[in-house]
Amino acid sequence: MVEAVQVQLKKGVLELCVLALLSRADSYAYEIASRLAEGIDMGEGTIYPLMRRMQDDGLVETYLVESPSGPSRKYYRLTEAGKQSFTSQKAAWSAFAKAVNDILGDAQ
Amino acid sequence: MTRDAFIARLRAGLRGLPAAKIADIVADYDTHFAEAAAAGRKEEDVAAALGDPDRLALELRAEAGLQRWEEQRNPSAAAQAVFAVLGLGAIDLIILLPILMWVLGVLLGWLAIAVAGTIGGAGVMVAGPFLGFPGGPAAAIFAGLGLLGGGVAAGASLTLVCIGLVNLLVWYGRLHYRLLKPAIDPQV
Repeated sequence: MVEAVQVQLKKGVLELCVLALLSRADSYAYEIASRLAEGIDMGEGTIYPLMRRMQDDGLVETYLVESPSGPSRKYYRLTEAGKQSFTSQKAAWSAFAKAVNDILGDAQ
Repeated sequence: MTRDAFIARLRAGLRGLPAAKIADIVADYDTHFAEAAAAGRKEEDVAAALGDPDRLALELRAEAGLQRWEEQRNPSAAAQAVFAVLGLGAIDLIILLPILMWVLGVLLGWLAIAVAGTIGGAGVMVAGPFLGFPGGPAAAIFAGLGLLGGGVAAGASLTLVCIGLVNLLVWYGRLHYRLLKPAIDPQV
């Protein structure tokens, strides 16, 4: 039961988490995946389909950066639409989290 | 599993997708291994964290089929989406088959009504006035027009129902992702 709830919760906030990470600094997929994997225990492989979908949706765009070690890295940055989406999703999340906390606060 | 074995199985599982798409996907996971190696992780651990490559390929290919249906609503994309969902093993064929036959029968009957109405209506409208339609030429034209309209309406609603059915199947199929589960669903 708890696991099923966690899957649903993660599913809902995954995109929001990626937007939040990218709003602080541009990043590449492996770094995003590592942060999310340690933060919310998400499967590492799921980041790639997610990034592709967000790119298709116009929320992020990519550019290549030469890496000192190994191949050049594909960096992601937020587009204007991505920034707007982050602002509105963050507000929605905060309102929702507050509402749930208010209800949970009364219960044992 | 080693990096090479993982990539090879992923590539084999993606066969049938456009070559550019396969190259994109394989490049993603190849880079993932390279980055992980640079971070000092063992290939086996990385492969284990990514999950079963066969299943991953299956779901990535299914998602490509479902996305194509969402972009272009045509019969070939619909067929591809239906097979993609079946390929996921999401629906037990033995349970599905009788339902599918029944739905198919209803849809075919509907199609027959649509076609008969359209052709019959046009026939009555054009030929009726010359063949002594009871009630005179004007009645023939109006009766034909009515039939024609009914036929076209039946065809249009049939199309809508088919699109709705495929959408339902796509939604159902996506529920059965195991590896891609959290990443794919568009967030509302």
